[in-house]
Amino acid sequence: MLTSPRGAPLVNVQMLIFFAVLLSYPLWASSAGLYQYLGVEIAIFVIYALGFNLLLGYTGLPSFGHGAFLGVGAYAYGLWQSAFPNVFAGLLIAIVCAGLSAGIVALFLSHRRGIYFALMTIAFGQIFWFLSIKLRWITGGEDGLLNILRPEIDFRFTSINLSSNVSLFYLVAILLIAVILILWRVVHSPFGTALQAIRMNETRARFAGHRVWLIKWSVFTLSGAIAGLAGGLLCITQESAYPDVMSLHASGFVVMMTLIGGGFVSFWGPVVGAIVFILARDVIGAWTETWLLWYGLLFMAVMIVEPEGVVGVWRRIEARLKGKTAGVAPVSAAKREAV
Amino acid sequence: MDFLNNLLPHLLNGLALGLLFALIALGFTLIVSVMEIINLAHGSLFALGAYVAMVIINPGFTDSGALGSYYMSLPLGLRYVIALVFAPIVIAIVGFGLEIILRRTYGKKKEYGLLLTFGAALVLEEIIRLIWGPAEQFLPTPDAISGAFIAHGMIYSTYRVYAMCFGIFAIIMVWLFLEKTPYGAIIKAGAHDSEMVRALGINLPRLQMLVFGFGAALAGIAGIILTPIWGLRPHVGIDATIPAFLIIVLGGIGSFKGAVTGGILVGLAVGLTGAYASDWSLLSMYLLLIAVLTFRSRGLFGKKTALEA
Amino acid sequence: MNAPQPYFYAENLHKRFGDQVVLENITLGFEQGKVNGIMGPNGAGKSTCFNLLTGMYKPDRGRIVFDGEDITGLSPEAIARKGVSRSFQIINLFDEFTALENIMVALPRVRTAMSRVLWDLRGDSALMDEARDILVQVGLKGRESTRAADLPYGQRRALEIGVALAARPRIVFLDEPTQGLGSDGRVNLADLINELKRNYTLVIIEHDMSFLFGLAHKISVIHWGQVISEGTPDELMQNEWVRASDLGKVA
Repeated sequence: MLTSPRGAPLVNVQMLIFFAVLLSYPLWASSAGLYQYLGVEIAIFVIYALGFNLLLGYTGLPSFGHGAFLGVGAYAYGLWQSAFPNVFAGLLIAIVCAGLSAGIVALFLSHRRGIYFALMTIAFGQIFWFLSIKLRWITGGEDGLLNILRPEIDFRFTSINLSSNVSLFYLVAILLIAVILILWRVVHSPFGTALQAIRMNETRARFAGHRVWLIKWSVFTLSGAIAGLAGGLLCITQESAYPDVMSLHASGFVVMMTLIGGGFVSFWGPVVGAIVFILARDVIGAWTETWLLWYGLLFMAVMIVEPEGVVGVWRRIEARLKGKTAGVAPVSAAKREAV
Repeated sequence: MDFLNNLLPHLLNGLALGLLFALIALGFTLIVSVMEIINLAHGSLFALGAYVAMVIINPGFTDSGALGSYYMSLPLGLRYVIALVFAPIVIAIVGFGLEIILRRTYGKKKEYGLLLTFGAALVLEEIIRLIWGPAEQFLPTPDAISGAFIAHGMIYSTYRVYAMCFGIFAIIMVWLFLEKTPYGAIIKAGAHDSEMVRALGINLPRLQMLVFGFGAALAGIAGIILTPIWGLRPHVGIDATIPAFLIIVLGGIGSFKGAVTGGILVGLAVGLTGAYASDWSLLSMYLLLIAVLTFRSRGLFGKKTALEA
Repeated sequence: MNAPQPYFYAENLHKRFGDQVVLENITLGFEQGKVNGIMGPNGAGKSTCFNLLTGMYKPDRGRIVFDGEDITGLSPEAIARKGVSRSFQIINLFDEFTALENIMVALPRVRTAMSRVLWDLRGDSALMDEARDILVQVGLKGRESTRAADLPYGQRRALEIGVALAARPRIVFLDEPTQGLGSDGRVNLADLINELKRNYTLVIIEHDMSFLFGLAHKISVIHWGQVISEGTPDELMQNEWVRASDLGKVA
């Protein structure tokens, strides 16, 4: 279930477990064969995918051009940072710029859904990508914006240097926790419920009086803003911003990772998906250059065989185990776990 | 008068582009109307056609003995024609394969088919990138159709004239096939009402597979002709899918006239923008798509379809 | 015109699709607090009329007025927000939601609270009770946790009406509510409608004459895109036109 049927406490068990694992990552990462930078990347992509799934999994709007907003966030942060090195202001600018871009794009496509919507997102994505390459004097063209220094965060009593991957990881992790807490509430709110209603039956939602255009516009903008946050963080991490995140290729990444994880059926789908994606990239990428090909084939296989993704498979296993111990468990009840 | 003269080569370019776009769109619209699938991988088939043709012309096995060197000694023109015949066949086979993979999503939510063809497009692009690399490739064209000539004081590209003529020829062939052959009649019937076709005892799955292959072959041919103008990179696939879709929206789904008219319109728009700002001409295609989809969805000749979800 | 205008009325509605004129000069009025019927053979234009009145299509000409307010040409959302609600002939639910969630998402309290991001709907017992009441009203007590897709047809029909009621409308349009129901279902539905008419104004499209004749206060007959007759069931039975056609044969 994309939402928990019995109501949503502010924090639940799954979240606490996840937060514990997340916050302790630097402690156990190397013993698991992982490294610090990887943790940062994963956390950033989880933010990106969670925001994206509001649009795809909850509202059913397939955006194939979302990389544009990640890119706008990255460039906005980078440009701001060169002038005013302040992390939080920079991230705020990234969020605002990306949100603004998404808001403008959404004006053109909020009355659509399905294939027309998807094609328009591709068109806009290509336009942003094209502009980011062409407008060299702003974006540095194909070479990108480089040498974005990782700054210090100054609190009155102490300052934290983000050059250290560990400090950066904690910055991203805390933001990720905030995003999870906020989005968890949003999806259980009237807005979040309306999103799902629109996905299931836009016509009926309209006839029930919902301002569908406005809701679609809002979720697109929100999703873009969150992508902007991820983009800003990406810029800090990579110390640069490149046009390629805006390519159709890269926009496809977030679609694939969200769905393989189980974005259609679970709040946590995108989280699982982002983790799987980055790990796949590193693990498979270690023994073959063609890891993306295998990942793409995996995506196709998932769409054909198990569109509910990893979480869907997990739930089926759980249901079967429960069915074996508790007699016949009705399928609808078994599917409604909070995970 | 001078202004008009300056414009003529670009008009010609636009017309050539337009006719080839129409060819891509025809394949696309046949697939859409017989199967109600939007094949986002259509452009990848376009690109693959060009790459496969390139391989047929220059297989690169020049040291593998008598057969190899004999083949390479054949004139480029002959090898080009061989490529023009066989590459589309290869693409048609790839099309068959793609259709079989897509079958699983037929009953389910529309989004799955869309996402699946999107995945296929990425996979195909990745395969292309793997085999041939990300750099720009070059599809050799025979001297007879390369170069330039002068007419009325303006320089025209021979190739573009050839492309335009080929486009006209191909469209006429497709029209003849659809209108004058029994197979064409079956395809048209399927496009109109697939259930009826099944009721008439025609094997619908086989028809769908063949239509997909046919549409793919058309895309492949268009790729062979168009990429010497556009350039051949793995990314060129999406640049071909967008106009196909744009044309369908403008010209209406399942409409032959619509595909041709829409194709010419889009081609002219792109060609003419190319007159003023060549880099930005592809961008004009995307802007046109956005403009059309923002305001209009039925197109010039089409009717409401299942696409309007 | 000295008589007061009806609660909901349409004047001179015209609608064409392409070059086909589907509705011509339709003038209809519905009385508040009553069950109003629209009847006619298939293809007569009654569905189109319904869709015009509830905002799915815009009329080419004519006016639609509800409770003194001109609602012609408004979007379906806007019309719904004015208190006009409808059910659909082909069941149109939120299939993956439970019966309770289907009702909940249509409640005006929820619909107008889009900015209240902290409000956990499913944890709000007062809200859940409000939604539950509507389920009970349409006979779905105890089915609240079942997914709409998993309900049997008759209950889906009931939920279909429930969702229309959830919006707390002042006037409810029911589109062929007996569609697919057996005789038991029809009896239940008739009981439900008799209950509902105490609190709502109802407009029902039906081509099951016996059903409509037993319930409606006034019926408008649409044929060939025009209103050919109007009146109480008794008056209609006297109408030779109605009697001559199949419409006159009441089971």
